[in-house]
Amino acid sequence: MTGEHQPRADEERREFREEAESLWRITLAPVTWVAHFVASYGVAAVTCAKAPGLLGAARIGLMLATLLALAVIAWLGWRAWRQWDYRNTGDYTNALGQAEDRHQFLGHAAVLLALISAIGVVYGTLPVLLLDTCR
Amino acid sequence: MKRTANGHHTARSSGRAGRVGPGMVLIVPTLLAGCDGRQSVLSPGGADARVLGDLFWVMLVGAVILWLLVNGLFFYVTRINRAALSRRFANGLIVVGGVVFPTVVLGALLTYGLSIMPDQRAPGEGLTLRVTGEQWWWRVEYWPDGADAPIVAANEIRLPAGQRSEVVLNAGRVIHSFWIPALGGKMDMFPGRETRMSLKPEAPGTWRGQCAEFCGASHALMAFEVVAMPPDDFTAWLDAQAASAAPPATEAGARGARIFAREGCGACHAVRGTDARGAVGPDLTHVGGRLSLGAGTLGTTLEDFQTWIAHTGEIKPEVEMPSYDYLADADLADLAAYLKGLE
Repeated sequence: MTGEHQPRADEERREFREEAESLWRITLAPVTWVAHFVASYGVAAVTCAKAPGLLGAARIGLMLATLLALAVIAWLGWRAWRQWDYRNTGDYTNALGQAEDRHQFLGHAAVLLALISAIGVVYGTLPVLLLDTCR
Repeated sequence: MKRTANGHHTARSSGRAGRVGPGMVLIVPTLLAGCDGRQSVLSPGGADARVLGDLFWVMLVGAVILWLLVNGLFFYVTRINRAALSRRFANGLIVVGGVVFPTVVLGALLTYGLSIMPDQRAPGEGLTLRVTGEQWWWRVEYWPDGADAPIVAANEIRLPAGQRSEVVLNAGRVIHSFWIPALGGKMDMFPGRETRMSLKPEAPGTWRGQCAEFCGASHALMAFEVVAMPPDDFTAWLDAQAASAAPPATEAGARGARIFAREGCGACHAVRGTDARGAVGPDLTHVGGRLSLGAGTLGTTLEDFQTWIAHTGEIKPEVEMPSYDYLADADLADLAAYLKGLE
């Protein structure tokens, strides 16, 4: 009996280990958001303190950074959407604790995180668009 | 047992809170009626306060609508239609009501809020005021356009109506906050760090400002009068403020000036044009022309001057100025006559 179960348990462990990588991957969209947020605050603060004359250039740079961040998040979101595989399986909850469920669940979570990261980046860009002085 | 007791207690206190609810609904309109007046964000007299007032009403109306929507939905699914929602509808409700709708509403509010911020921080049109928060009074300097020395005053702010004036804020020893609710937002004052705001009273009027950051025993008694004047009147007033103090016009005033010198008042207070050059306390060169005493604490009758000089520490706890309660009533009356005459 034990001999039959052992390989299957090993395989589960191996798949679980592989999934650890996509566990890291779900953090990438929020990390992009964080990078954009820190860059926005840092660039605005340093520009206004050291070189207010360059604020126009800094705003354009931050808007470009926004486009880049949104592109990265969109790409990550697209990959996560395919990992979730919702359109093929129609499975919303991934209730079974098997490797494939875990795989798709992590995709699901990454899609939602990509979505909220995109919203965060857009909200973070609104001050760049609407405030045009250091006052 | 203990858990049951706690649970019982919680239920009882929430029941009490529930009974307070309807009472509050009746009280709120009454309280709101008291929001008119000279120190209210809800009766704006300045361009910036008007923008903030609009923001308040937009937020309030929006919050009421959202409250009705959420509770209406809650009422609908628990009382009117208790059948299970279809899976598809429930999912749609979560995506639209829980994700799309809040994102759009918050995005719109953020855009609105950010769009009104530049106005609040717009540059002035010439006049700059430097206001320093002290314990517990306001050091005020007027810097007209191009001035190389300030016109010093205290405990009162005067502004030209219809113009935007710059206000640069600082603090002496502890933090304060500069707030004229009827004219604009509040701004904190920090020792050693400049903050700024600008104010644009729309029409002549008189309002009250108040320190809005706890700064010690007499924090609540740190207020000031705010007067917006027609620009020509303001210029004339400022010219008068720039002048030295007029010599006492009455015999009592002249006696008061001698007592002022004898008691050493000039060590802390300046009266320009005399030997009094102290800068510890408020400049008194034109104190008789102000609308309040003790930073918005007393009126300006002769009795108020006497009361203030004799009972300073009782009126304003922990104030640095000593109470001159040992002076004879006649001396106090002469001092009051002198100071009241400094218009």
